[in-house]
Amino acid sequence: MKKNILLNSILKYIVLALIFLFLLFPIYWVLITSFKSNMEAYRFPPTFMPQAPSLSSYFNLFVKNSDFFIYYKNNFIVAGAASVATTLLAICSGYAMSRFHFKWNRWIVAALLASQMFPVISRMISLYGIMGKIHLINTHIGLILALMAGMLPFTAMLMSSFFDSVPRAIEEAAYIDGAGRLQILWKIVAPLVKPGMLAVIIYAFLLTWDDYLHAITLIQSDALRTLSAGVALRYLGELSYDWSLINTISIVGMLPIIILFFFFQKYMIKGLVSGAVKG
Amino acid sequence: MIRMSSPVAPSPDRKFLMKKKTGDRLFSLALLLPTILMTIIFILIPVVDSVIKSFLDYKVKNIISGVPGKWNDFANYIRLFQNSKLVPSIFITFEFVIIVVAMQFVFGMALALILNSNMKFARFFRSIMMMPWVVPTIISALIWMWIYQPQYGLLKYLVSFFSMGHISEFAILNHPSLALFGIAIAALWKQIPLTTLLLLAGLQNLPDDMLEAATVDGANGVARFFRIVLPYMKSVIKVAMSMAIIENFKQFPLVWTMTGGGPNNSTTTLAVLSYREAFVSNNLGSGAAVTTVWMLLMMVVVFVYNHLMRTEVMD
Repeated sequence: MKKNILLNSILKYIVLALIFLFLLFPIYWVLITSFKSNMEAYRFPPTFMPQAPSLSSYFNLFVKNSDFFIYYKNNFIVAGAASVATTLLAICSGYAMSRFHFKWNRWIVAALLASQMFPVISRMISLYGIMGKIHLINTHIGLILALMAGMLPFTAMLMSSFFDSVPRAIEEAAYIDGAGRLQILWKIVAPLVKPGMLAVIIYAFLLTWDDYLHAITLIQSDALRTLSAGVALRYLGELSYDWSLINTISIVGMLPIIILFFFFQKYMIKGLVSGAVKG
Repeated sequence: MIRMSSPVAPSPDRKFLMKKKTGDRLFSLALLLPTILMTIIFILIPVVDSVIKSFLDYKVKNIISGVPGKWNDFANYIRLFQNSKLVPSIFITFEFVIIVVAMQFVFGMALALILNSNMKFARFFRSIMMMPWVVPTIISALIWMWIYQPQYGLLKYLVSFFSMGHISEFAILNHPSLALFGIAIAALWKQIPLTTLLLLAGLQNLPDDMLEAATVDGANGVARFFRIVLPYMKSVIKVAMSMAIIENFKQFPLVWTMTGGGPNNSTTTLAVLSYREAFVSNNLGSGAAVTTVWMLLMMVVVFVYNHLMRTEVMD
């Protein structure tokens, strides 16, 4: 019996180590490649620790490929604006879905649930023309609106599950005391769901930071491109890739989101789990 | 943003409740309006419009010249079936979804069970585990392409090391029968963390006394897992797996970046086919026909899935 338990726990740690090796080693691999000199990056068999760590590829990125930072800046603008705006709208609609139960609610929830399933390409085939007609093609505003629409269904429902956990008695008391409905929402209820708001805004930022398809179809001029689309079109076009540069781009491209995640993981993990597991 | 009528002052009269109800109705509608409009304008109308376009002869030149598309008697669909592009890509999509979702469940569940077993540093492990999940999809494609790189890649080295030098050339993405699996590994890498997180949350909600009672009754680990843990977690598993199915059914950037649908169309999923038809061949009508078939299939899959996983007595 005792031997069995020991065997079990050894097996457990082996499986754990293997899965973690699979999940974390690729990031380590890219990180050390970005610190290798160009010569060393192309050595075979590869070295598992950089022999002469250097910042030359970062230097190259800043000096020779500074166009990358245009995409980077655009990605911050688009992701920042889209996530803030999405969260504001999600607070409004989430509150309405959680508090007021009218007969149209069922239809709205059904429409939102269905909207999550449609492939982005299907939307883009038509939006490409529609955006052209309303003069929003090749603009950040158009891109932000299209991205927001894609995120609203999930974020609104997530927000609504956070409002569900706030007792209604507080609002009723405030209402009797003469507070207006908007005042109740922004001054009394919204502060109580701050963790939920943080979860939604970071999740929305994560999704927009990741966007590729919207940007690649709705943006045509290079100066407006965002990270994924810009990198794919500029650095992956040729037959042979500059791997040293690409590994550096990978690290710089994932850095903001990893930092954000580690700062706010408490809210994000809780938010996502409660959103997905409840609804 | 939203303008509201001035707040209703509390009044002691009997109409108060009626008035509140009407006010609530207006307020709720005003709050919902922006979301409803956004969803209609940027999701529902485009999707319906693209279904309509799938029956038209509609190319990029129609957009430029402003000439509306012409009804073409299902020619888009007929051509896609006849030149045998559509049917293989349906099979490839299903193959991809099944491989990724099944492996994701097995590894995610294994990891969740381990992290839930009173081990030290479980919280620390849980938080660093999430890292691949936040890495942007295009970058995760680049990470794996670097590992798979045919001349200097790590995988080539590992394969030649473990085969004692018997296999000295290994380019997984250039191999028609392995390329899809290579992409699936990258997809798993990015998706296992979230699945594990959700399953772990489900495990933590399990009532301890149930498990204890089962242990006293002499149920061993395997029996406990299948008879108690799985049935109790059914609703969490249902949500986690339906998210995985939808995500992989829709997967585009990973495949497009890593192989572009090749080699020999062996990784041309419905997503790649529709993008290629619409935005590379500039035949929007034909691309719309692919996405229409794709959406129909997805609805069938989700319907069948919900039917199979319907929550019965346990909830």
